[in-house]
Amino acid sequence: MLYYFVPDTTIFGGIKVAYQFVDALNVLGVPAVIASPQGQAATWFFSRAAVVDAAAAQESFRPDDIAVFSLPHDYVSLRELPGQLFFHCQGTDPLIDPILADSAVGVITCWSQATQYARERGVRNPLEAGISISPCFAYTGEPKYEAAAAYMPRRGEKWLQAVKNAHQSLRYIAIDNMHEDEVAHVMKSCSIYLATAEHEWFGLPALEAMSAGCVVASLPVVGGMEYLDDGVNCRVADPQDYVAVVGELLHERSAALRFRLRQAAMATARRYTTKQMLKRLTRLIDGPLSSWKRSL
Amino acid sequence: MIDGLCAIIISRGLDEMLRFCLKSFFESARELACPVEAIVVDNASGRPYAASSFSDGRVRLLRFDVHAGFAAACNQAVRSCSTKQLLFLNNDVLLDQTTLAAMIGQQDQAGIGVTGARLYFPDGRIQHRGVVFGRDDIGPYHLDRGSFLDASDSVEAYQAVTGACLMVGKGLFDEIGGFDEAYAFGLEDIDFCLRVRQFGKKVVCVSAGRPLHFESLTPGRIELDVESRRLFLERWRGKYTIDG
Repeated sequence: MLYYFVPDTTIFGGIKVAYQFVDALNVLGVPAVIASPQGQAATWFFSRAAVVDAAAAQESFRPDDIAVFSLPHDYVSLRELPGQLFFHCQGTDPLIDPILADSAVGVITCWSQATQYARERGVRNPLEAGISISPCFAYTGEPKYEAAAAYMPRRGEKWLQAVKNAHQSLRYIAIDNMHEDEVAHVMKSCSIYLATAEHEWFGLPALEAMSAGCVVASLPVVGGMEYLDDGVNCRVADPQDYVAVVGELLHERSAALRFRLRQAAMATARRYTTKQMLKRLTRLIDGPLSSWKRSL
Repeated sequence: MIDGLCAIIISRGLDEMLRFCLKSFFESARELACPVEAIVVDNASGRPYAASSFSDGRVRLLRFDVHAGFAAACNQAVRSCSTKQLLFLNNDVLLDQTTLAAMIGQQDQAGIGVTGARLYFPDGRIQHRGVVFGRDDIGPYHLDRGSFLDASDSVEAYQAVTGACLMVGKGLFDEIGGFDEAYAFGLEDIDFCLRVRQFGKKVVCVSAGRPLHFESLTPGRIELDVESRRLFLERWRGKYTIDG
């Protein structure tokens, strides 16, 4: 059995990615569950993953079981368990360096920058499993309001406020504390998504917005630059230029540009479908992770 | 390779319905290579069933003089089964000729814990194709219940399936501890499926033929559902994921 240990159920991208990973493994026939404190399940997105109590899972852990984790803090307790240990790398904070230095820990990454980071720290064969967008975000022709911009207020409030001050005619819709399908509904009805979180590892919401047919204006991120292609499928601007870039996007003469960016964005998002992730995972399970099949 | 299947049918009254249920079970079982049997649990019927009224020698009768909850009745019946596979079947389900073969084909696959079946109302609408869970205590509920869907041979994974027609290996059933007898009537099947999945096993629903489920013909069912739902939410609220 594979246990994916998560710290809680909060609205944080890493939690959703963990459940998606378990869902994908289940589809591929690998017995896998989420191990969460008190067996609490995250309910702000769609998933069919089974959830068990993390403490009980640790207690009953057997040598042929597999533990997966993504929060660096969990490493200390999980490394004591018998069986295989895998780190699902969803960010490249130096906090993870001791984990990458431990040759007994397998490393699975979610995107190419994380793969590169692991390699640079001596991990011989980081396995890139990828990341996927929930199908509910796929744009299917819903009416869009040209003057509406969606954003997530949790981070980058300063830059967002600057945009709001400069472009008061735009209608701003905050995405906060919503279930995934409500988020998708908002994104599908907005024409622009403002990704204002600085130092974002990947920026799954911006990719989801692309899938939902939004034109994304983003600050530079760390791992997400693999899908953000400035001027091709989005606009990426440094903080000092952000307000001006958004202004240019909103201009009437930019209508054709917005259309082009939107089309390219949706095409980019197609590279991150569940089907694509399943293909990648299938290759891993048929290859370097073939031992995971043993637990069937 | 499956080496035997035992159907467990908890029944109270509805003598003629039960007769048709058994007939459809044995007709569907003709497609199987393994031996089959059926245990009919007479759950305190006002007019007890007579063993002589079951013409097929593969039917065994267990009589409860005092009405037992569905879970307790099933668990007790299982204790007298020696086959490797169990089929829990409501007395108002009429199987299609192809249903059992499709279900047992799934049980033969690695990683499958429970197999359910797509069931139809007599007018052709969907009665059950899998159980999903909504937000804010909506559900568990039957996906697409009451809809007309095209028939298709398919296998879909869910968090749970109905116990009206549910197949599970006896080994797994015992390992999990059977149905939870704290449930009066209703949702013990969903509770069971959720526990099966915590063991890393899959719950799937097959669509094969057009088996019928008349649904809730047994008197007093609705009242018992309310208490079961209270218990279910007490146990599982916040502990299942949202897929509906």
